Amino acid sequence: MLIRSVTVGLLGLLLTACGSTRDTRVSADAADSVTGTGLQSVDIRTMASQMAADIKEWGVLAPTSDGKQASFFIYEMKNESSDTINKTIILTKLRTELFKAFRGRVDILDRSPSATDLTNAEQRMKQRGEVTGANNKKVFGSDFVLKGVMQSRDRQAGALKSSYILVTFELTDLATQKMVWTNDYEMKTESEKSVINR
Amino acid sequence: MRSALLLLLALPAAGCAISQPDVPVGTYLGGDYAAVREFAEKQQTDGAVENLAIVLNVKGQCQLALGEHDAARRSFESAAQIMGTWATSGNEATAAIVGSESSKTYKGDPYEKAMNAFYLSYCYLLKGEPDNARAALKRGILMDAEVADEKYQADNALLFWMAGRMSRLFGASGAEDFFKEAQTANTFAIDHGSRGAKNNPILTDPEKGNFVLLLPIGLGPEKFADGREKELARFRNQSHPAVRAVAKLGGKSLGKSWILNDVEYQASTLGGTAMEGIRKGKAVFKTSARISGAVLVNKGLNNLDSDAGQAQAIAGGALLIFSALTATSADARHWPTLPSTVQALVADVPPGEHDLVVDFLDGNGRPIRGLQHTMRVTVPESGEAWFLVPSLPAAAAGS
Repeated sequence: MLIRSVTVGLLGLLLTACGSTRDTRVSADAADSVTGTGLQSVDIRTMASQMAADIKEWGVLAPTSDGKQASFFIYEMKNESSDTINKTIILTKLRTELFKAFRGRVDILDRSPSATDLTNAEQRMKQRGEVTGANNKKVFGSDFVLKGVMQSRDRQAGALKSSYILVTFELTDLATQKMVWTNDYEMKTESEKSVINR
Repeated sequence: MRSALLLLLALPAAGCAISQPDVPVGTYLGGDYAAVREFAEKQQTDGAVENLAIVLNVKGQCQLALGEHDAARRSFESAAQIMGTWATSGNEATAAIVGSESSKTYKGDPYEKAMNAFYLSYCYLLKGEPDNARAALKRGILMDAEVADEKYQADNALLFWMAGRMSRLFGASGAEDFFKEAQTANTFAIDHGSRGAKNNPILTDPEKGNFVLLLPIGLGPEKFADGREKELARFRNQSHPAVRAVAKLGGKSLGKSWILNDVEYQASTLGGTAMEGIRKGKAVFKTSARISGAVLVNKGLNNLDSDAGQAQAIAGGALLIFSALTATSADARHWPTLPSTVQALVADVPPGEHDLVVDFLDGNGRPIRGLQHTMRVTVPESGEAWFLVPSLPAAAAGS
């Protein structure tokens, strides 16, 4: 009887030790259960929506009294932190949120190298008569440029570490070089190393 | 039934314990990177998930050798995420302390994390993102500072020097500080037994050159479990003929390479870890329990007619079982395809296309046959040209 109980107990222990895994769909705003450090999906989403709302509220990109729409392009995201990031995901999300916030009342320009290449190629095809369409439009000039920089301050001592991340965005007038808007997003994480990794 | 019970008793000790993936290092050194990448991909899907960072790092090296730069970056990035995560579940910690230490997720030693940062930063540089390259290096510097012995924290000149160069490349501040730290790290490391030179011209004139060769040379150390109960993690150096490199550009000598990171020194200066103390304690218990158990069983067997004798035999048997079940062996998993040193060669060269020839030399200064690399390289009008050339055979065309 004792042997049987011990056998069943050990089998249970084995099943628990080598238990099942999971593959679950979660909200993009859910806290990251894989690792709690670095920018998470919730940070990217919150940051983009906050910045878009704030730019709109400041009114710097509002149409002029004669109805002329402002134009801007997103230049770059500089990473000065100690965490590698996919800069495109932050800027793309921000661009989308800005587009949604302004609902077409601002001209967002695509100044990526690929956009320039595609524009030039299309113009050449139109010139050669290979495709239809007028070739008399000029590429839009920009009134403003939007830039971002991500910085971090990392502290580490013994089994503890903290990381403060600051992402700053700024909108600069390309005629006057005046910074017409800036805002930032902050986050801080703390980690403790397990004894098995010390 | 008793046999089944004994088998089950033994299983928890071995259950879920993870061994070093059997990376075909010889094939890698022989230049068949496609075969090793295939091995790593199979391990990635079918192997132990706890070893993922090891196989991703090996895969990344193969992808770099095969010219698959974006894929290599993704591999090193995924490995970096595992190696850089401090969070550990309570279950994993308990399993590693009570059971086998090698049941835990491999996250690498600080010297391995630093090497992951090195490769990842090079991949980001190839992508045209020196800021992300510097971010990887900064993270590597922080990870290198995780060694238990504070004396040896942050003594990796390679990471500091590269971080300084990356700062310059994307116009960030801090380059001077990184260069100064690189000098300090180099001097400290050499004073404490690292290979290299205090008057390393790459570090005394850190901004020099628009042409940089990064040269991982030799084969890095192997980790093994030592001691009576295999409770001690030790490193042994591995034999490889290449010790340094020379290069020619357009037939003109660029000189010899200089050591910026002695991987063997970095591995051997980790200091004691908390787990080492736990393993030593378990080893003492294992040995004591085994000896006490044997004595009790012996006494009991000689006196089986009495109740005391039977009790001694049972207690002795229990101690022997506990001793056998106590897993004391050190986790000897490691990144097996690391170089012995990372060296660099820097030069000022005119922009344009050039023929580059890199030779790796043995201890007697003779070029090693089969390791010569010849390639056509382009140096831009402005900016810098960086190339990673390991002391491995060039990848076969079409492989």
